[in-house]
Amino acid sequence: MPPVISPDKCLRCGLCADICPLEVFGCRPAKNEMPTVRYPDECWHCNVCALDCPAGAITLRHPISHMILHVDSPFLKNSGQGGPHAAD
Amino acid sequence: MLPIKEILDADVVIAGGGIGGLMAAVAAARAGASTVVLEKAHTKRSGSGAGGNDHFACYIPEVHGDLATAREAILGSLVGGDQDRDVLDASLMRSREVVDMWHSWGINMKPRGDWLFEGHAFPGRPRAFLKYDGSNQKKVLTAQALRAGAVIVNHSPVLELLPVPGGMGGVLALDTSEEKPSFRIVRAKAVILATGNPCRLFVSANTPGLMFNIGVCPACTGESIAQFWRVGGALVGMDRGYRHAGPRYSSRCGKATWLGVYRYPDGSPIGPFTTVPSRETSDITGDIWNSSFSDLMVNGTGPAIMDCGGASEDDLKHMLWAMGCEGLTGFLAQMKQEGVDPGRHGVVFGQYEPHGIRGIEINPETGTNLPGVYAVGDHVGNFRTNIGGAAVFGLISGEQAASYAAGASPCQDVENSPWARERMAYYSTFAGRSSGATWQECNHAIQQILTDFAAPGPHKVRSASLLKSGLKFIGDMRRRVDAELCTPTAHELMRASETLAIMDMGEIMIRCALERKESRGNMQRSDYPFTNPMLNGQFIRIVNGENGPEISWRPIHR
Ligand SMILES: Cc1cc2nc3c(=O)[nH]c(=O)nc-3n(C[C@H](O)[C@H](O)[C@H](O)COP(=O)(O)OP(=O)(O)OC[C@H]3O[C@@H](n4cnc5c(N)ncnc54)[C@H](O)[C@@H]3O)c2cc1C
Ligand code: SF4
Ligand code: SF4
Repeated sequence: MPPVISPDKCLRCGLCADICPLEVFGCRPAKNEMPTVRYPDECWHCNVCALDCPAGAITLRHPISHMILHVDSPFLKNSGQGGPHAAD
Repeated sequence: MLPIKEILDADVVIAGGGIGGLMAAVAAARAGASTVVLEKAHTKRSGSGAGGNDHFACYIPEVHGDLATAREAILGSLVGGDQDRDVLDASLMRSREVVDMWHSWGINMKPRGDWLFEGHAFPGRPRAFLKYDGSNQKKVLTAQALRAGAVIVNHSPVLELLPVPGGMGGVLALDTSEEKPSFRIVRAKAVILATGNPCRLFVSANTPGLMFNIGVCPACTGESIAQFWRVGGALVGMDRGYRHAGPRYSSRCGKATWLGVYRYPDGSPIGPFTTVPSRETSDITGDIWNSSFSDLMVNGTGPAIMDCGGASEDDLKHMLWAMGCEGLTGFLAQMKQEGVDPGRHGVVFGQYEPHGIRGIEINPETGTNLPGVYAVGDHVGNFRTNIGGAAVFGLISGEQAASYAAGASPCQDVENSPWARERMAYYSTFAGRSSGATWQECNHAIQQILTDFAAPGPHKVRSASLLKSGLKFIGDMRRRVDAELCTPTAHELMRASETLAIMDMGEIMIRCALERKESRGNMQRSDYPFTNPMLNGQFIRIVNGENGPEISWRPIHR
């Protein structure tokens, strides 16, 4: 479930559902209802719902399938500044 | 038949409220035309510029001197040389005006105090990409369009163009503001197409099976290209397909903002252009040896690593700030969550699936072969400078469409035209079914076929045998889609319409690829393994004529 809404913080304003470029929350919810993540597979992880939420109620969860593959910097490793894993 | 929720009248209707569409709305409304923007999502945060961008291709006379300097810098970058020069020049000539406009509206085009050109550049050579802070661009452009008097209808994706004899009568759209689908008609004398970059044609290279993990906005599937084609519009370059690159497995465009060096895992640089991180140029190897990311995987020397190690604290801070301007706030948060520190870690880069197959042919005034139809932005076939081009031609198209509409007569009942009735009945069939195929099935099916039978390279070949087979399989799938597709909600009907556009574009792509009896760039034909010099500097042009697709070659304007 990519965007996670905190029910305690959510003001039920509907803004996130209105502005999501992928319409992940479906239609704007009825007044005083919290949006639901209707179409999680369609999330682009663009983060604009979290940016625009007036209550800071949304956090994005990035799926394991989308993990950022990374290694210790080859440059730093070669120059002996490679950090904890430099000797691997 | 689904109900028509609303009929609106306008001089100019704009399909898509992205960068190009909103600039068109400002210009058309300022020129006195009644203007309606139909946007699939919400203009404040939609499209590939939703969260921001940070490089704006432009010509600033006091920086570049003559126009040729900026032009050559652009043609040598990722947007590439295959574009009509007269169209490119027309956009560059007014780019300064748009940069000043944006700055005066509150989009910071000088976030470092003065003109700063960075990225997509060769060391020591002129640069044409202005560094700016686009993080608020969609909100600012929306406010300007409204201030100019345009009407914006959000949650209303355009489904079809509605031509009338000798011109345009308007568009058919869907209303997705409610669960139940309904139609919206805008009767208009001129139409501006601005639905963005065609994507979702090929299986996601990063996460096969997860269709929305792609570099550009997945809601943009080039619907205008297909809609324009269906009513006789001319397309160019449709056999091409560009493969962007970026972080693996979290797909996101914006690679020129990374200031590091592309390296082999042993630390040696992949390309000859830079050996130390540089915020001025970034490593242009990623633009000009675009296939390197795949080549290294195929020859076993990979993976390719974007390595910012060795950059100064100040440069790293600058890069992270620029990523925020660029709309990469989600990616920044992800790096933090996953403990990725670009100062300490190299990030594996890979090539993404092809997107941005070329599209609508425009003239330097953004007009097309159909009177009353204008096109701007990423779905244009014979020109491309991304955000800068979309913005400038947005402005030009708005002016042109307004002036055309002033001399055209209104169409009273375009909703009753045979084409409008036929298409409304077609979409209503899917909405009326209670069970059947989902749009996802159909999208996966077309992606599989195109990836297997028609994908551009690297490390992929096309041939008459493969392409003709692909065409047959698309035909087979189309019959099943027509018979089985079922879209109970407005949201699903919207995604289905995108999928139908992808099917049309896939078919057009194959027809054009069959016409190219040679190998060129990433378009490799196993049955024609040579480059034919007679085809240098030529575009394939295709029109849906009365007797079916008409394909021809035409010179790229130099
Ligand atoms: C992360 C990222 C970074 C980038 N960085 C840069 C950069 O620094 N410099 C640069 O030059 N370019 C950059 N780009 C590309 C740039 O964002 C695009 O070139 C630009 O947004 C194109 O403008 P456009 O108007 O053609 O399309 P968009 O801005 O994508 O707008 C298309 C609009 O059409 C809407 N739409 C789609 N289908 C329909 C329909 N059927 N009916 C109605 N509306 C519809 C969409 O919702 C969207 O609002 C970047 C892209 C991404 C994703
Ligand atoms: S924008 Fe924030 S406060 Fe408003 S409905 Fe969404 S989560 Fe709740
Ligand atoms: S991250 Fe973007 S696509 Fe995903 S729900 Fe939020 S606004 Fe929508």
